[in-house]
Amino acid sequence: MSKKTLLLIDDEERILRSLRMLFFSGYNVRMTTDPQEAIQILRDEKVHVIVSDQRMPTMQGSELLRIARDTSPATMRILLTGYSDLDASIASVNEGEVFRYLMKPWNADEVKKVVAEAATIAESSFAVQSNADTALDLPHDRPRVLIMDYDEMTAKTVHDTLGDRCEIIWASDAQHAMEVLAKQDVSVVVSDLMLGDTNVGYILKTIKQLNPQTQCIVVTSFSDTSRLIELINQAQITRFLPKPVSTGVLARNLESMLERFHLVRSQPALQKRQTVAPISSPQEKVLAGNFMGMLGKLRARISV
Amino acid sequence: MHVVNEVGMSESKQVVVEMLSLVNPVESVSPDCALEDVAEYFSDPKYSKLLSLPVVENGMPIGVLSRYRFMDIYLKRYARELYGKKPIRNFINQSPLLVELEQPLAEAAQHVSANMSFPLTEDFIVTRRGRYLGVGFVMDLLKAMEQKMRANTDELETAYTQLKSSQMALVQSEKMASLGQMVAGVAHEINTPLGYVQNNVSIGQELFLQIQTMLAEYESLVDKLLNDQSSEEQITTQMQVVAEMRGDVNTQEMLGEMHVLMTDSLYGIEQISELVLNLKNFSRMDAAATDVVNVNDCIESALNIGRNVLKNKVEVVKHLGDLPLISCAPSQLNQVFLNLFTNAAQAMEDQGVLTIRSWSDEEAVNISVADNGKGIPQENLMRIFDPFFTTKPVGEGTGLGLSISHQIIQQHGGEIRADSHVGEGTCFYIKLPVRVVASAQVTPALPEMEGSNPKEMVYE
Repeated sequence: MSKKTLLLIDDEERILRSLRMLFFSGYNVRMTTDPQEAIQILRDEKVHVIVSDQRMPTMQGSELLRIARDTSPATMRILLTGYSDLDASIASVNEGEVFRYLMKPWNADEVKKVVAEAATIAESSFAVQSNADTALDLPHDRPRVLIMDYDEMTAKTVHDTLGDRCEIIWASDAQHAMEVLAKQDVSVVVSDLMLGDTNVGYILKTIKQLNPQTQCIVVTSFSDTSRLIELINQAQITRFLPKPVSTGVLARNLESMLERFHLVRSQPALQKRQTVAPISSPQEKVLAGNFMGMLGKLRARISV
Repeated sequence: MHVVNEVGMSESKQVVVEMLSLVNPVESVSPDCALEDVAEYFSDPKYSKLLSLPVVENGMPIGVLSRYRFMDIYLKRYARELYGKKPIRNFINQSPLLVELEQPLAEAAQHVSANMSFPLTEDFIVTRRGRYLGVGFVMDLLKAMEQKMRANTDELETAYTQLKSSQMALVQSEKMASLGQMVAGVAHEINTPLGYVQNNVSIGQELFLQIQTMLAEYESLVDKLLNDQSSEEQITTQMQVVAEMRGDVNTQEMLGEMHVLMTDSLYGIEQISELVLNLKNFSRMDAAATDVVNVNDCIESALNIGRNVLKNKVEVVKHLGDLPLISCAPSQLNQVFLNLFTNAAQAMEDQGVLTIRSWSDEEAVNISVADNGKGIPQENLMRIFDPFFTTKPVGEGTGLGLSISHQIIQQHGGEIRADSHVGEGTCFYIKLPVRVVASAQVTPALPEMEGSNPKEMVYE
């Protein structure tokens, strides 16, 4: 079996040399300091995983990854950066749609593990790509949208945009949201990070573990880069929209996430692309555990 | 008391309570009361404090009759006979001083003092929605007003003190914010060399373990070769193990690359040291607060620290002339320059050029910092040094950066000004007097900074 290809981009050559040493034995490693060259490689070769720096003189990493998305959709995208600025992390979700947002300095074992996981997922994505007719012809259930946000503007936009096609549930609180998620599959979740006093990050993380098809849009005025990075890695949120968000933007993203849901649902191989990293915060682990317990009980009861 | 309960309107409650304390709910007199009977009232102890009697018809005050007026009439010859039986309606002042219960104290006091007559012969009447409520004494009203004014003054003083301390807090927070930004910037910059140094070391460690194993196998082979008792088979097996290891291309390649990685790591460590040194130079935590320095060094130090903001975005062009040493507070000048550089970077939306010049004449060291960013509109240009003036969204800037820079330059006896053209860019000019003739030894603090910590000095 031929080695999978890993493409590394960083404006600091020493980073490239160093990373190459972690991977050269297991992968076909391509590396460059020039994003344009990286784009060319993506066009010419089958690249399984791209790992890019964020801050580079000629192009931001999130921009490069956005181009990578179009050029080679099956390639898994990872950002590796020393700067944790909010704009970059927002762009990496919304534009780059990254699989992981990793920080420098990195842990060698962790990076190896993430790249290995990504490479395997990419391989099955390539397989799907070459066999486009593997799409499942599923019965068209009415998609379900769950709103976890007290903001009426959000609820109104969701109703106005998807009301005719979807069942819409507006969670009254975190408990209600968990009950809804436990009882049925939800296509799209539109959530703030705080629901009243409850930080609902763990709910998003848990639901993505259980139901990778669910697409999460976070709309919030809360801006904390480290929490956003956690949500990228551990909840694979697909959009992060800072409040105040215009109805137009929210509506557009709702449409595209609903579309994404249908695509992912019909192509189970694509679900793996949104595999989440384990929850890291100890408190959230406990909360997620409780939620899982509740969910297990409820689902068992329903299936009986 | 009945009155108090009835007047319980929330928004004007405070006003009502104030006014109510001034009301003497004395019984009013009917306009049909005979003049001679009024004498009784005036001598009644209940009315002894009153200057005038309130005259009320159907609940509405229609006038007052003062002791003064009464005496005036009654002391006339035959007055008692002539007027005694007449109703007082004919003698009252029909435009008494009227105050509504819900009228603010200050407004009431203003009305009364504007309309009262001298000498003071009448009290004022307090009404509630036009109906008679009681009588108030002018002196009481004025006294209450004075008390209130005094309380207001105290309030103002407290507010002023609070404002002053919150400004100090803001100045402090601006200092902390710019410090925080700077530290965060440098911390992030350290992450890159730290990333590869750490990775290289962990690769080295792994490789070292492999080499250890390899050595052990080689040693074992040598031992077996030297040992007469080793069987041919044992030696062959061990030779195969060693040959396999030698054939492992990965280890070979790693060994070959390791030298480069070590060189890289040393370079990275040097980078990290330099960044830390920049931080130290910039903050000058371990140096004297005032020193004799070359301002070009301050510019360089601020550029080093601001590098992460400027990097990839701003081309820096330096024309730094020969400068005499001047006595100043270098950490403060560093702060001024960093502030100007980061402002310039923020003013440039895409790529831009930052041109820094320095030159000197006999009196002063001059510095100019020019950007080709979006420029500042004329109406804002006049206000850029004002405290709290900012065009950034709420929460993104305190609006104190340039105001503090202005203070710092003033403390140095210098000047700072700005020229700007919208769409072309902005240029800041700084002039610092060469007060102290350059000398090798460290001169004492600047006169206006004498005896105090200049860092605190600036903000007072």
